[in-house]
Amino acid sequence: MGEERVERFGRAFEALRGEIQKVIVGHDDIVEQVLVCLFVGGHVLLEGVPGLGKTLLVKTLSGCLDLSFSRIQFTPDLMPADIIGTNIIVEDAEGRRHFQFQRGPIFAHIVLADEVNRATPKTQSALLEAMQEGNVTVSGTAYRVPVPFFVLATQNPIEMEGTYPLPEAQLDRFLFKLRVRYPALEELNEIIERTTRAEEPTVGHALPGDQVSGFKELVREVPIASHVRELASTIVTATHPQWPQAPEVTRRYIRYGASPRAAQALVLGGKVLALRAGRFNVSAEDLKAITLPALRHRIILNFEGEAEGIDVDQLILQVVEAAEVEARRGKEVFFR
Amino acid sequence: MRSEEAIRAAVQRVGRIVRVRRAALYGLRGLAWGLTTGLIPLLGKAGLGPAALPAALALAAVGGMAGIVYGLLLPVPLREPARLVDRTFRLDDRLATAVEHLGQVPRGPLVEALIEDAADRVRDRDLGATVPWRWPREVRILPASALALWVLVLLPPVRFPEGVFPSLTPSGEQEAERQAQSVPVAQDRRLARARETAPRVEVQERDYLRRRGTGRETQQGDLSAIFRDTNIAQRRPDFSSFLKHGDDRLKILGQVESLPDLQRDFTQSQFRVAFRRAKRLLAGIRPDQVSPEKLRELLDEMRRLGRRGGGEEWGQDVWEGSEALADGRMQRALEAMERALSRMRAMEERSGKGLEGGRDRGRGQGRNPGMRGGEGEDFGEYEGSLPGKGTNPDWRGAPSTRLAQDPLDSAVEGQPRRGRRDAFDTNLLGKGSRNPSHLPYMSVYAQYRKMMEEALTKETIPLDYRTQVKEYFRALEER
Repeated sequence: MGEERVERFGRAFEALRGEIQKVIVGHDDIVEQVLVCLFVGGHVLLEGVPGLGKTLLVKTLSGCLDLSFSRIQFTPDLMPADIIGTNIIVEDAEGRRHFQFQRGPIFAHIVLADEVNRATPKTQSALLEAMQEGNVTVSGTAYRVPVPFFVLATQNPIEMEGTYPLPEAQLDRFLFKLRVRYPALEELNEIIERTTRAEEPTVGHALPGDQVSGFKELVREVPIASHVRELASTIVTATHPQWPQAPEVTRRYIRYGASPRAAQALVLGGKVLALRAGRFNVSAEDLKAITLPALRHRIILNFEGEAEGIDVDQLILQVVEAAEVEARRGKEVFFR
Repeated sequence: MRSEEAIRAAVQRVGRIVRVRRAALYGLRGLAWGLTTGLIPLLGKAGLGPAALPAALALAAVGGMAGIVYGLLLPVPLREPARLVDRTFRLDDRLATAVEHLGQVPRGPLVEALIEDAADRVRDRDLGATVPWRWPREVRILPASALALWVLVLLPPVRFPEGVFPSLTPSGEQEAERQAQSVPVAQDRRLARARETAPRVEVQERDYLRRRGTGRETQQGDLSAIFRDTNIAQRRPDFSSFLKHGDDRLKILGQVESLPDLQRDFTQSQFRVAFRRAKRLLAGIRPDQVSPEKLRELLDEMRRLGRRGGGEEWGQDVWEGSEALADGRMQRALEAMERALSRMRAMEERSGKGLEGGRDRGRGQGRNPGMRGGEGEDFGEYEGSLPGKGTNPDWRGAPSTRLAQDPLDSAVEGQPRRGRRDAFDTNLLGKGSRNPSHLPYMSVYAQYRKMMEEALTKETIPLDYRTQVKEYFRALEER
């Protein structure tokens, strides 16, 4: 029974990925990590310069799933009520007036928050409650957002004039932060070939929306060994400069390390990767495969790190290497 | 159930192999140290006799056995062999996870599937290859220890030196003879020391005579400087006079008020600064060899000092010197400079202390406490809050009179303000002193306005203050 469910998960995962790749050329790792977030039930922050297909990826994903989709273009004058909705006065058949809640675009299964750093922090924070709690409170009344609820936010890293960088508290609520990079030469050729023809590629429903919730439950059932769990904890703890065993790079360049949500993201993401590989357990390699997207937005560099232009990704790789050594220390089967 | 048993059997088998390999490892370690320790009885073979060799061998055997026992007794948790198997056969932690979940009740379908999967993967594997042989570091000393043991067995007993050590202390006769020889030497030394003492007095006197009346700079630790400006500075130390009348220096030390202020910074006296520079300029060269550039710098420096205070007295001389220098009349320029120096000195002597200027100018005297706003006022440390700060209701401040006098003045020259400040005073000399910093007035305004706008949009500023800041910039715009 378990094998059958895992096989079904693997088939659904591959079907979704195949369908998305009909439209999106390259970015295999980005597509895979977006799907990991979908099945974990987390939210994704996509960062990249304009024109790399971030919005197209999200729209294609919504097209592949039989789920409602809404897009919110964030601008400086966008107000929280524009996202979550507002109470309006309506008149019933008997002429009596009363307030009725008009739902905003956040009440959709898949929400694309385009250029999320263009809105003011007040508006950005309107997403917080929905992302973390799964409901929206207006005038003291809580409204549940539909399940599954998947927020994909995009932001542009270079055009910082007139932007409001997301606060750390809100960044932490994103399961992964994915960096969309420029396509390779062959991929660019393929993009031109696909997008300049008369007929545009179309996608079909690869997965019924209600199955996504079922797969989320399956993901949480995947067993994990204690030493793999300890590795996740050690990786996250090794990003904290206050930890006595913290590696040198951490003490030198990091001001604040990752939160416990990072460890949750590592383990849950690892579980999805295990299922996708047809495995019934999480391996250390699964964790290491997703350390970059799970940690890069949760680490805050100190002045020295900023001044020296330290790449957070390179820093994380060094921290993971050191954490592996630390996790293995004292557990060698021969010498104690 | 069969899968579970297969996993347990595999893990236990690997655990046994681990024990054996550990026993071998620690046994080799113990043997190496036992052999090394066994060399000691062989070295004392002469004393121990035929029991030395059995003792050495027994030590080696005990070391090896202790190592083996220790290796066998070390615990082997089940998950450790499982991780070894995972690593050896690249099972992606399947076996370790399955072993940990064997005792879980109830097991979920995924755990069941995992156990089945792990059991399938460890069946028919050569588990012996899982645990590699490891050689301890001590293996390197093992051959050397064995060789040394063998050599010591074959060699005759090592004889250590016997008897008492030779006496190194001299006998009584030798000691007496040495003392007898050393007496004249000591006497010679005393005579030599007495001969050395006489000229030292002369040297000290010469030093003192050279010091007096020179008015040289005070050196750190030079206590005679206390009496430099008194009439006893000229006197030589006279011991018989001291016995009769006591020392005048001690009396002066009792009158604290009459002593010169040694703590005063030498550079506070602007005359001395100028004098020192002039002396350095003219030292050892004829007037016709003075560099015009250096002389111009000195005159500029004196003019700058004049701007800070007292310039009305020597300013004319400095101006004449500059004019003469511009005309190429070096001798006239030098004379004018010397006249200016004389006037500076006279002014300093009149004031009784250093020329006033810098941040000390007018401090504590000639203050007008009612004066507020405008150029030239003293926003001293204790003179109330500045406009726009604290409880001062006059948040706009007074307009700059300088700008009112010259509406075309678009470049504002930096001016130091009196009172407490965060910067350091620098006694700037040289060409840089002729180029005060300028900043276009409108540029300053634009910069500050931009900073204001950024601060208002991006920082948390109370609403009341927002209005105040906006009003301030609007008022500036009107002007």
